This record gives sequence, C-alpha cells and structure tokens, in this order.
Amino acid sequence: MATPVRPGRPPQIRIRRQLPLSPWLFAAPGLLVVGAFVLYPFVSTLVNSFTDRRTLLPGHFVGLANFRELLHDDMFWTGLRNSTLYILGVVPALVVLPLLLALLVRKDIPGITFFRSAFYTPVVASIVVVGLIWVWLLDERGLVNSLLESIGIGRIGFLSDQWLLLLSAMAVTVWKGLGYYMIIYLAALANVPRELHEAAAVDGAGPVRRFLSVTVPAVRSTMVLVAALSSVNAFKVFSEVYLMAGPTGGPAGEDTTLVMLVQRTGTGLTGRVGYASALSVVVFVVTVALMLLVLRADRREDA
Amino acid sequence: MPMSRRALAAAVVALVLPLSACGSGGDDGGSTDASGKVEGDITFQTWNLRANFKSYFDGLVADFEKKYPGTHVKWIDQPAEGYADKLSADAAAGTLPDVVNVSPDLVAPLAKAGLALDLDKSAGKYRSEYLDGAWAGHQVPGMSGTYAFPWYLNTGPLFYDKALFDKAGLDAAKPPKTYDELFADALQMARKSDGKVATLANVPTIEDFGRYGVTLMNKQGTAFAFNDAKGVELLTRYKELYDAKALDPQALTATPESSGRKFLTGAVAMNPGSALDLDNFKKNAPSLYKNIGITDQITSTGHVNMYVMGVMVNSRTKHTPAAVAFAHFVTDAQNQMSFAKKVAIFPSTAGSLDDPYFTEQDGTDETRVRVAAAKSLKSAVNYTPVLFSEQMKTALRNEVAKALQGKESPKKALDNAVGAADRLLQQD
Repeated sequence: MATPVRPGRPPQIRIRRQLPLSPWLFAAPGLLVVGAFVLYPFVSTLVNSFTDRRTLLPGHFVGLANFRELLHDDMFWTGLRNSTLYILGVVPALVVLPLLLALLVRKDIPGITFFRSAFYTPVVASIVVVGLIWVWLLDERGLVNSLLESIGIGRIGFLSDQWLLLLSAMAVTVWKGLGYYMIIYLAALANVPRELHEAAAVDGAGPVRRFLSVTVPAVRSTMVLVAALSSVNAFKVFSEVYLMAGPTGGPAGEDTTLVMLVQRTGTGLTGRVGYASALSVVVFVVTVALMLLVLRADRREDA
Repeated sequence: MPMSRRALAAAVVALVLPLSACGSGGDDGGSTDASGKVEGDITFQTWNLRANFKSYFDGLVADFEKKYPGTHVKWIDQPAEGYADKLSADAAAGTLPDVVNVSPDLVAPLAKAGLALDLDKSAGKYRSEYLDGAWAGHQVPGMSGTYAFPWYLNTGPLFYDKALFDKAGLDAAKPPKTYDELFADALQMARKSDGKVATLANVPTIEDFGRYGVTLMNKQGTAFAFNDAKGVELLTRYKELYDAKALDPQALTATPESSGRKFLTGAVAMNPGSALDLDNFKKNAPSLYKNIGITDQITSTGHVNMYVMGVMVNSRTKHTPAAVAFAHFVTDAQNQMSFAKKVAIFPSTAGSLDDPYFTEQDGTDETRVRVAAAKSLKSAVNYTPVLFSEQMKTALRNEVAKALQGKESPKKALDNAVGAADRLLQQD
C-alpha cells in the first residue's frame, strides 16, 4: 500500500539514523571471543593479584601484600634480572643480523631460494624440538664439546654454568628468530627505491656507505618494529630457558626468567594463583613500558 | 559512533559475569553415603597407563559393568607430564572425574579443598583388605580421614654399571651397601676416571634426606625439620662428591630422564630405578645390559623408599555408590594381583606380597629384582611428606644447589629451605 503523498512536498524517506543495537550485533562474535580470551583473563588476573587465592582455595583480598612480597623475593629479582639481560643480549642481535641476512639473500643468484628457505626453517620448527637438539649439541658429552676437546680447548659446561646457560638460550632465540625477522626486512628492502642506490653509487658511495646512508634510513621504521617485537618476546621468554636449563631454571634457579617464575608459582594443585597473578601484572606493566619506550624513541627520531 | 560508557560497562559485565561462574565449581551433587544401589555413569581417570595397559583396563571396566548392571564406566587416561596441572584445571572447573588415580602428595591439596571423599567414613569396611601402611598412605596431616584407596606400590633397586666399576678398580661383585661405602666408591670412581665418570647423577631430594635418616617434619606435622645435624651431614658429603665430580656436574639441572640417559651412555655409574628399567636397558643399551649390576637401595634407616599410588573418589560425584564400588574394585586383591603380573608393580592389598609370584626365584634378572623389591616393600616407607608440595621441592632443590656450588654453607642452605617450606606450609 502506498502512503498517500501530498502534492508539493518531497516524499519522506524514513531512515533511522541510529540503530543502537545492530552494530553491536555484528561485532558480537568478535567481542565475545575477545571478552572471553583476552578481557576476562586480564581482568581476572588483575583482581587475583590483590588476593591470596590458591589453585583450589578461594582467596581473600590482601591489598598490596603480594606486591610487597615481590620486593623481598630474591627469585623475583633473579627473574627480572634474567629477563632484562635477555633483552640486552637478544634484541641488538635480532635487529642487526636479520638485516644483514636479508641483504645477502635478496641477491638474485641461482639457488638463492634454497638459502632463503634454509634460514627460515628454524622459525617453523617446533621450539621443543629445537631446544632438545641444542641440549644434545651442548651437552657435556655432546657434539660441540667433543669438537672443542678434539681441538684442545677442553669441555665447556654450557648447560651447567649459570651464565653460559643463559647465553646458550639467547643464542637459540637469536638463531630461531633470524629467519622470521629476515622476512620482515626483505619486505622492507623491496620498498627501498633502486634509484637512491644508483644515485648514491654515482656520487661515489661504496657498499658500506650506501648501506649506512641509504638502506638503514629506509628500513629504520622496520628496525623499530623489529626492536619492539623482539624486546617484548625476549622479556617474555620461557621455552628456550625452560628446555635448556630445566624446570628448575638452571643451577639453584639462577636462570629463572619472570615468566618461568609465574609458571612455577602459579600452577599445580598447590599453585599460588594470587602471587603468580601479581607477577604477571608486573610482566605486563614492564612489557607495555617497553613498547612505549621503543615507539617513543621512534617518534623522537621522526621529529 | 561513540558508545556511551555505561553501555560499554554493561557489555563488559554481560561478557564477564557468566564466565566468572565457571571458576567456583559449585557444591551440587555428592553425598558421602556409599550404601545405595551401584548404578550410573562414572568416569575413571588413570595416570599414563593407556599406552601399555589398554587391554587390562578395558577388561577391568567390562568386568565391573558386568558385575553391576546399570553402571557405565568411561575410562580416560592422562599423560605423565603435567598430571598435577590437569587435575588442578579440572578441580577448579568442577570437571574432576568421579574416580581418579592419585599419589599422596596430589591428594592432599584436593582433600583440603574438600574434593576428595573421606573413605574412612564411606568405605571403612574395606580397610582390612589393605596393608596398614598403605591405607595410611593417603591420610593428610592436620586432617582426619583417608582420602584414597591404596593402589599399586613401587620401589626399586639401585642399578650399577659393572664395567665402570671394574675400570675404576672397584670390586663389581661388591657394590656399596652403606652410605660410607657409596661415597668412598664414588670418590674413587671420579679419581680413577679423571672426573669423567660420576657415580651419582641427582642432587639429594627430600626422599634422600629421609632415607639417610634425617627427621623431615616435627611430630605434629606442622613444621619441617630436615635442617638438623644429620641433614647438614648429608649435604656436606654431597658437596664433597660434587667438588670431586663424583656427583655429575650437570646434576644441578638434571631430571630423572636426563640422569637415566646418562646412565645408559656410561657417563654415570649408578642409577636408582625399578624393574621396569631392565627392559629399557635391554632395548636401548645392550652393552650396558650385559654389565648391569643390581643392588639394594642404600638406606641408613633399614627401610627403603616406596612410591604409593592411590585411587581417589571425587566428593562431588553424582553416583557415590558406583564411584566407591569401582575404586574398590580397581584396587581389590584380585585385580591388583592381575595388574602386578602385567607390569613390574606391587599390590598394596594384605597378603598379596606372600604370593609365590613375589617370593620364588626362577633364575631371571626380572624375578630377582621383583622378589627383592617385594621383600623390601614389607617394611618400606614413603619418605616424601604428603604436604611437601612442588613449590617446596623447588625451594629445597635451589638451596641444595647453592650449597653444592659453595654459595652457601650446607647449614645455611637447609635453614633457608626449611624456612621457605614452612612459610608455604602455613599459607596452605
């Protein structure tokens, strides 16, 4: 039935400008997932960090007691130290080495795809497999030590010394991460205009100069991204250290990282969920601070 | 289109509220009365047994269902790794199976959370079927009651590599019998091999302290006491071994698996084990198997260590009579005996260890180990205190490592470990 239209007036088109519900309906599935797997765990961790909750026993509100305990917990400081050292050891290597690798493998020479895939293989390999392989290699009687002994250096306790263990784990992280960041750099390098290189070459710049004056500025924002990603990952390191240093986190737990400490404190039937949550909150705060720091450094350089 | 803050808050609450209900479990179901009719669907969870004993458990379940028509048992199995985590996740989510394979240290936190049925109340009539010590194995200090049926027991000898003993000038026919002999042999082994062959591969655990004769807890079970003179003495002697490389340099980070591997490859001369290991030696290290020496666990108390497995009934089960009946069925003398004949474990039921299977030799190594273990089990002790949690084990291990590295004196290290364990105990 057509509504009677009065002559002289344009027909009224009725569009409701705002349907308060429908956009939310569209977003609901995504929101539900985010709510259930991101927001809820986050809020619940935050709440738990102020309680003395145990795995099987409901907690009571204890205010800042968990955080106060943290300050006096030697293991927390050990964890913080190791996680921080991990950033210092791993990030510079992961910012620079993959870039050099990317420069190497972007050359169009026969068989280069083989090398590209080869460098990428560690990324796809399972960290558990990789960890075990390195444990075998670095064992007191492993391949590496046998080689060292045969050339007269003698055996080195890679897996029994606190610092060598941490260094070995860092080496595995770097080795495993190279391929991933190499791909990111390859994409960035493809965007560097060839003319810039040509112009620089015409002006008499050698390869090193061209690298520093053309390539590096062109991929700088990618370097910042890599630094941000790798530092957050380094701070949250778990698997490498857990696999190589064992569940105890190295001799006397001296190689424990913060995330390992969260796992050890908070899991199992007698897990201290409240205290582990407080630890997680600290990890979160530091991670966010790290991101902000890196991004800020980037902005300052832009200005 | 900006959404009002109130609407956002409402959305968040709507998302979060239904979820927060999952965590608390709920107190529905579950009665302690096991006298009703045995019927209903129950779930039974074992700990890493499917791979090798599927047919045994399938048969067990079928027998039970035949004996009690109207029951249905769903059998599930969990891998060895992360079993405690699986239990805690299930317990927190309220999805703990009706009948669960546990060990005493696992049952303690579950009992404290009210999730384990007190069998003194619900199944006291079965008590006399089990060895007294085994029944008491699942009691929790500070609580009255017994929280699991005793299931299988295990203990094992000390294996040693005769070839390595020979090479070090030790008499392979006379393995060490006392701690003094053990430590002396270990030092000689290290000296003769230039520090390349260690005799022990693991740092002392709470169980080792117990076996050495250290008092682990006070009588009331309210505080730990392993920092006494005897404890300090054991740790001091281990430090000597560590310095001489008679204790493997990687012992501080070793796991039972990694030290087992070292024994297989001849890097370590002795390793504790069970009858299960003989098979492993035969398959993976034939040359070791030819030289394998078997001797008794070393102890200064006269009692060897044993591991106890139990079967717990979930206090929130909807079918208490069926769950209790099944837990008893799994652990009764007949079924334990037939399980023991399939695998190198030992029954916890009264009289079963007197069966000829556990007393008569037939000339094989397997039988020798089995008969010796069964004999020692009659007076064996589960040294690990029921209340010694994972977190406490870590604390002890870290302090022991500090003492071995010389960063702390043995006395200081044990004082710290006892302090940490006591703090954790009070938080429970």
